[in-house]
Amino acid sequence: MGTSARIAGHDRSDRVMTPPPDTTNPAGYVGVRAGRREDRPLLLGRAQFVADVAPAGMVEATFVRSTVAHARVTRVALDAARAVPGVLAAVTAADLQDVAGYPHLVPWMKEVNAFPLARDRVRYVGMPIAAVVADDRYAAEDAAALVEVDYDELPVLVSVEAALADDAPRLYDDWPDNRLLDMPAADPDVDRVFAEYEVARATYRMQRQSASPMETRGVVADYQGGRLTVWASAQSPHILRTTLAMMLGLREADIRVVVPNVGGGFGCKVHQYPEDIVVPWLAVRLGRPVRWIEDRAEHLMTSIHAREQRMDVEAAYDSTGRIHALRCRIATNVGSGEVFIPGTATTLVSGGCLTGAYAVPLTEVSLACVVTNKTPSGAYRGFGSPEGTFAMERMIEKVARRAGVDARDVRRAMLPDPGDDTFVTPSGGRLGAGSHRQAFDRAAELGDQALATARAAHAGDPRIRVGLGVVPFVEPTGPSYYGTTAHWRAYDSALVRIQPDGSALVGIGVQAIGQGIESTTAAVAADALGLDVDDVSVVSGDTDLCPYGLGAWGARGAIVSSGAVLKAAEIVVSKAKAIAAGLLEADPEDVVVDRGRLHVRGTGAPSVTMRDIATAAYARTAELPPGTEPGLEATVSYDPPGIDLEPDDKGRMNVAAAWSNASHAAVVKVDITTGAVALLDYIVVDDCGTVINPLIVEGQITGGVAQGIAGALYEHVVYDENGQPLSASFMDYTIPSSREIPPMTIEHIETPAVEMPLGVKGVGESGTIGPAAAIANAVGDALREFDVDIVATPITPTSVLEAIHASGANT
Amino acid sequence: MPDARPVADPVETLEIELEVNGRVVRRSVPVRRLLVDFLRDDLRLTGTHVGCEHGVCGACTVEVDGAPARACIMLAVQADGKRITTIEALSSDGELTEMQRAFHRHHALQCGFCTPGFLVTLHTANPDDWPDEHAVRELLSGNLCRCTGYQQIVQAVLDAWGRAPGSPATTEATG
Repeated sequence: MGTSARIAGHDRSDRVMTPPPDTTNPAGYVGVRAGRREDRPLLLGRAQFVADVAPAGMVEATFVRSTVAHARVTRVALDAARAVPGVLAAVTAADLQDVAGYPHLVPWMKEVNAFPLARDRVRYVGMPIAAVVADDRYAAEDAAALVEVDYDELPVLVSVEAALADDAPRLYDDWPDNRLLDMPAADPDVDRVFAEYEVARATYRMQRQSASPMETRGVVADYQGGRLTVWASAQSPHILRTTLAMMLGLREADIRVVVPNVGGGFGCKVHQYPEDIVVPWLAVRLGRPVRWIEDRAEHLMTSIHAREQRMDVEAAYDSTGRIHALRCRIATNVGSGEVFIPGTATTLVSGGCLTGAYAVPLTEVSLACVVTNKTPSGAYRGFGSPEGTFAMERMIEKVARRAGVDARDVRRAMLPDPGDDTFVTPSGGRLGAGSHRQAFDRAAELGDQALATARAAHAGDPRIRVGLGVVPFVEPTGPSYYGTTAHWRAYDSALVRIQPDGSALVGIGVQAIGQGIESTTAAVAADALGLDVDDVSVVSGDTDLCPYGLGAWGARGAIVSSGAVLKAAEIVVSKAKAIAAGLLEADPEDVVVDRGRLHVRGTGAPSVTMRDIATAAYARTAELPPGTEPGLEATVSYDPPGIDLEPDDKGRMNVAAAWSNASHAAVVKVDITTGAVALLDYIVVDDCGTVINPLIVEGQITGGVAQGIAGALYEHVVYDENGQPLSASFMDYTIPSSREIPPMTIEHIETPAVEMPLGVKGVGESGTIGPAAAIANAVGDALREFDVDIVATPITPTSVLEAIHASGANT
Repeated sequence: MPDARPVADPVETLEIELEVNGRVVRRSVPVRRLLVDFLRDDLRLTGTHVGCEHGVCGACTVEVDGAPARACIMLAVQADGKRITTIEALSSDGELTEMQRAFHRHHALQCGFCTPGFLVTLHTANPDDWPDEHAVRELLSGNLCRCTGYQQIVQAVLDAWGRAPGSPATTEATG
């Protein structure tokens, strides 16, 4: 079983890229600033995305979608479409009799009874009504244009205010109101504190946004030999498989979900959309592979939206600006609510994380998810935290202004003392070890320097004002899925297999979506197995190969994947040591592993390679110690510790494995004649515990900040009063370019999470949380002389001018 | 090859001949077929990506006769007689170009979906026309990236073009 001759053209560098020698950490790969193994095929244009999957005989689907926001569908005429040459099928919900509706998982939500194609009612523009399959997409779209739909239109609700009105029409006839989720709160202790102190009140709003990864959604399905293969651009392949099995009535084992490269997810691809169900159903029904690739207009109209939320906040404060009690009523505009997995949990996070690491002794937070005739909302990076942080940080500014104190002092006074790892949030979050005040002070220091530079640069320009906003926040990482789904909690899984050649294959349940999880997992596994990182292959996104996992979301990958890999590696290494001890005639306790070699403790001791061990485990099994079974692999799950399964008697529970913290500082200039806001500097001081690969962590932060800036200043999903979307192209939904996003400064503080594997905390969503709050505060600071209050995003030139004019100033 | 062939009556398909990545291709294509679909589905050159289908995001950027073009808003018949280069031909023998190596070093790609468009745009650019970081940001502003926040892409370009990254103060974003 020696090394064979090398095939010409074989180049393992296609799969792995070794870090440059000067960045190699002698202690291991964790902590090394290393280029990613994912990069090479992507750079060469050779990486496969779902739109590149083309099984032989493939045909293409397109969807007929509702053109009105709220109506009964009285007739769908398919005959003209079916008559178009090249058309194989045109179907409606009536044809999907053998498909079950989306399951109702969450008992504290009302039942939506969503179905992949509209049965008799449409509740948002873009809701799929029919699917058409043809030889190619051109023919399919020709035919889809001939489908006639008759509507009996119903009153349209676009705002939470309209939907909550006493006489509001109802989206769901069997509900008493339009509240998909309703969690009112009342606390007499809060009332007492409010009676004692000054009270500030404000209503804050964040606008509807779209995740808009550069790759839209897409599904390709093929049914052969009784097995269904589904290629999808998805963040949770196993949960997609489970959903498909439930809805199509297939055995889970008869479905294989394969996720090729994913061109970004940012939350919107955790959901199981109508097309994810209908396209596989069509493939089974037609006996042909079927492809559907979402176009951008479809993405902006029908992939979940997020963040549209009204927050009515009241704060009881003393003369120092310290807040003694906070009351908040959150009403999230969740659109029609017809989405699976449900889109309500962002509201729970907004409320649960509202006060961050601030010591606010009493809070009373009421939550409502309100249905309207807009696209369903759901998961988007930040997941409720940007909204809550924006409201909280604006309220602190307001309180400080009213109390006549420096808002920075108010924040510092309410943040935990350095070294305090006992802080518990009002909703029960146990933050553990962090660096809240240190990160805040450092961000403020860097912000002050940047502000001074900006002041000097713009001094003397009568139109320009500059300002600084500094905000601290926390990010719940490795969270439980229970609040979202009433299932699954927080675990994930890993397979670690030493291959017959002594290299390792690691299969993970967390999905690679561009976040570099293959590179970080390889580093963790290589250290744990004592292997060269180039001898570790990492696979995600194949339900036949990878153990059941919950996918990529919630800044969980580094925690749960590392946890599972370390646990599996421990089992594998233990067995490898036992085999080595047999081969070396030594005690297993005395065997140590070091970069592919196992030797007896001490210098000059005899050693064997991992390849020798693998040869014994798979081929020369007669050499195995007595009682040792052949093979060398382990599949384990890892459930992070510290997550509460039940709320305590006050309704509090810790829902995240770890809590990272950060502070952001934004420096802006505002042109008071045009209202234009430009970002001059953006500073991040981040603490996500142990950093596995600084290059990747910084990329997560800069990308997250860019999306946060986009929400603060540019992006807005707009509907008219009839529920017609007005922002269904990139001409209208304005994703910022390299000209809008400023250079960023990033510093790390590493406070390891005591109970987490390697001390890591997640970082994937952190960057998006701070920008709306930091930029709004910076604009408020710049316009201090006008006493304006920024209460809504996006902060546009129009909204800034209106705020200045409302202040009565004459500019 | 003539620039345009006289067509008397409306037709559904036309014969086109063009050079793609150094090879002459002759095909009959529906006149309404988009260049990007022709490249991806007919020639199986799937490195060119479709991000918006309305010419904004730049993921589908290919080089047409030396200039960047959006293959999602160009018809295949418009490429008749042209010379096209796609991401697959920027490097030869699997050897990364200096720009591709810089993208790797600086972590200028995450999901990598937009990356071919950026690389083709850069391939067609003359560095002398984009002398500083501000200009580089201007050059890149026709390609959208949702993952990186652009910082690492800008750094990669400056590095590949042999320039030290500019100081933030000289590169304020334009609102």
